[in-house]
Amino acid sequence: MAKITVRNLTKRYGDMVALDDVSLEIDSGEFLVLLGPSGCGKTTLLRCLAGLETPDEGEIRIGDDIVFSSERKIEVAPGKRGLGMVFQSYALWPHMTVRDNLKFGLDVLKIAKKPSDERLDRVLEDVGLGALGARYPSELSGGQQQRVALARLLATQPQVFLMDEPLSNLDARLRMDMRVELKRFQAETGATTVYVTHDQTEAMTMSTRVVVMKDGRILQISPPQQLYRQPESTFVADFIGMPRINLIELAADKGRATSYSNTDISIDLGWDPGLERVIVGARPEDINLSEDRAAPGEDYEVGAVLPNGPETIVQLSRGVTSVLARVGHDTSLLPGQMVRLSYRSEAINVYDARTRSLVTSPVAEVAAAS
Amino acid sequence: MSGQAAPLARGRFQVSRLWADPVNLLMLILLVVLAYLVLWPFVQLVIHSFTWAEGDRRVSRDAVPGAFTWFHWLQATTGPISGKMLYGPLVNTLKTGIAATIIALLAGGVLAWCVVRSDMPGKRWLQPMLTLPYIVPSFAIALAWEAVFRSPKVGGQPGLYESFLGAAPPEWLSYGTVPISITLAMHYFPFAYLLVSGALATIDSQMEEGALIAGAGRLMILRRITFPVVAPAFAAAFILTFGKTIGQFALPFLLGAPTQFHTVATMVYANLALGLDSMAFVLAIILIAMSLVSIWMANRFVGKKSRRFETISGKGFRNRVIPLGAWKWPVFAGVALFAFTVGVLPLILLGVQSVMLIDGFYGLENLTWHFWTGTSNPDIAFGEPGVLHNSLILGAAWNTIRLAFISAVIASVVGLVIAYIVVRRDNNPLARALDQLAFIPFLFPTIAFGAMYLTLFAEPVGPIPALYGTFTLLVLISVVSRLPYSVKTGMTAVTQIGRELEEAAEVAGAGWGMRFRRIVMPLAGPGVLSGMMVSFVGVMRELSLIILLITPSTRVLMTVGFGYAEEGMTQLSNALVLIVAVLTIIGELILWWIGKGRIARLREKQT
Repeated sequence: MAKITVRNLTKRYGDMVALDDVSLEIDSGEFLVLLGPSGCGKTTLLRCLAGLETPDEGEIRIGDDIVFSSERKIEVAPGKRGLGMVFQSYALWPHMTVRDNLKFGLDVLKIAKKPSDERLDRVLEDVGLGALGARYPSELSGGQQQRVALARLLATQPQVFLMDEPLSNLDARLRMDMRVELKRFQAETGATTVYVTHDQTEAMTMSTRVVVMKDGRILQISPPQQLYRQPESTFVADFIGMPRINLIELAADKGRATSYSNTDISIDLGWDPGLERVIVGARPEDINLSEDRAAPGEDYEVGAVLPNGPETIVQLSRGVTSVLARVGHDTSLLPGQMVRLSYRSEAINVYDARTRSLVTSPVAEVAAAS
Repeated sequence: MSGQAAPLARGRFQVSRLWADPVNLLMLILLVVLAYLVLWPFVQLVIHSFTWAEGDRRVSRDAVPGAFTWFHWLQATTGPISGKMLYGPLVNTLKTGIAATIIALLAGGVLAWCVVRSDMPGKRWLQPMLTLPYIVPSFAIALAWEAVFRSPKVGGQPGLYESFLGAAPPEWLSYGTVPISITLAMHYFPFAYLLVSGALATIDSQMEEGALIAGAGRLMILRRITFPVVAPAFAAAFILTFGKTIGQFALPFLLGAPTQFHTVATMVYANLALGLDSMAFVLAIILIAMSLVSIWMANRFVGKKSRRFETISGKGFRNRVIPLGAWKWPVFAGVALFAFTVGVLPLILLGVQSVMLIDGFYGLENLTWHFWTGTSNPDIAFGEPGVLHNSLILGAAWNTIRLAFISAVIASVVGLVIAYIVVRRDNNPLARALDQLAFIPFLFPTIAFGAMYLTLFAEPVGPIPALYGTFTLLVLISVVSRLPYSVKTGMTAVTQIGRELEEAAEVAGAGWGMRFRRIVMPLAGPGVLSGMMVSFVGVMRELSLIILLITPSTRVLMTVGFGYAEEGMTQLSNALVLIVAVLTIIGELILWWIGKGRIARLREKQT
């Protein structure tokens, strides 16, 4: 169907480099999420795919067609790339009824009246707007407008869906419902989907793979689970996860190859990364707390206890080193209390303090190979 | 949903997008066309002022038609007639301009304060009345003035003043500096009023309350807080109003020419009437220079000083209305009387004058509908039939409507296209150049602009035929002179249309033409429509722009009315100007109605 290949794409605005030599392969039927802080280039990349921006260098293929190539001087107009797009603002035409909004794309494709009408009826029914075809966008709720935007994309039956933060204008509850809907339509149509968001929950829940971007570059492309468990750099580790990951810089202990420490704490990694200085990344749920003073680990003082529904976040400190831990909702810990704290060495990630990139343990490599 | 794929069109283009984009092509065409219609005429005007013309053989034996000469400039600045040609009119222009501006600004300022900052009653219907004098053609006010203060010393019948008081008004009250200044002020005070009330509306009354708490009295607050804050806007309003007055032609001509009182603008016309074209061009250039200097100065005031006085802080902004107390009704009465005197009375006077058999004689036996409904009678007005039977007037009326309609439509559409390019291609230097090019006609005093087109289209140039004397030329100059306004209107409209609305259509495969037609036009529609109405009214009451380009076959109501006034056929000219005034007021009412109803409803739909 429609595999998308991006090769060495660069886009500059004056001196600002919005996309810096980006290469990427998107499989047919994949739900790929572009994630990153604002200004990272994710929207620019999406708009380059759509043809709304002209890259300075590189090549884009959609299916078998080269839709952009700086070398071969090819640029296919957005409307001829076989894609549909949902905009952040929905971009519904305010002077057209819901039905006319959908019909516009079919008019462009010069689809005859009868099949066009049938298709519009079906799509409106599908997204649950069957009764609202004659309304104007301004007469609809935010959620309904979102559905119109989705329906408009579905009406032309494109092979590729592009979505630019489509849910960011909805309230939290509605957003949850729409995620399910979007997933359903994507699965039903089998369209290759590229989805831009800065909301990591959205990225994690909907994607088959997530692309994390920063400063116009791709930092990591991984399935969501792997992105969470094995962020390849401290930036990604820090960016993904709420509450954020604990990143602690440690130096190698003299004599003991697997042990690292700072002035306050000491951690045994269980393997030797062979580095002088490392940054340890431990997710809040990878920390064991015990009120039993004989348990392994070191003593920390509880600083704050923050209950949050099904879980409780506990802030602890030892000297000037402060960490966050995630415990059950039934915790009895109180501020000021001393607890025994240990790190699940098999779950924590080790980063080179100089390059800030992941150092893989031999164990993990073996596991990955098998 | 089936998994069936949309047909992937194979259309590709190997050409760079820069050239394939119809917007870029359109931009280049517009740049060339506008350069030809805006910049080139000015260059031509300058060249002509330095060239011997055929007619110059009459004024100098050295004249070699077509050759370069300083003659016209020297004659205007140092020649024996330079006092009469240039310096006298220049002094008159400055004198009347400054006096009129001071009066306009004082009146406008006081009225603006009453409407914006006080709790004067009846604001809702006083406000439109106060703008009335600016809406009707300026020379309606001149004619009304003449109706009252006409002096038999310069010939013709006595005015209202003499009829009632039995003595002729002093000449300084009939013609020259005083009446011109006052009538100019009457025409332009709404302009100053709008500028000042805009500035007053931005004052945060918390600033004044702060001074009040500090123990300052009312007058001290006005003097030390309010006035300094609006001072830059006041200065800008002064210069802009002045800049407008110097370009006025019809009004000073009617109230000045009978006693040989000339301004630079009337001198341009007078010279052209005498066939001294080159001299007229020199004066037109001087007029343009004065306009440029005044607008440049106004921009300096608004641009630099006002930023220092930026008063809208966003948060906690309040504009408290100051209670007038016992003065409430006296103030209201004063403003209402003023509005009536300057806005309504002149029109009533024109109406009354147009039904008097012999003007100046007030009495029932002298009333007649002849000038409206009568047929030709050799004993009255040299046999000119009344308005409704006068083929000349009816032809002119048809021309007026046609000219105003065609020009308004073209100006609005072209303005929208230019606005679209300027807004959507804001990072393209050529688009910015287009923006500036379209603004330039605003800088030309209209009579000077007319003079430029006179030189440019007198003879065929390449594929462009000689347009002088054609209706096309009138449309052309009307459109170009409206562009600064229609581009601004268009820009407001286009800015409100989100870029994504168009991109959505682009992704759907709609080409630029389809997007412009089906997305941009309908959405910009209401704004552009009201802009079109403004242009329609503007072109209809325009005189000085086209007076130099009119020939017998292309007459419009304003020029016919002006012609009658020149020939002393007061009733007919009054009737005609009254018709134009009523038409423009109807136009404004329609505009107001559109603004209230349709646009508001559509705006609601968009947001």
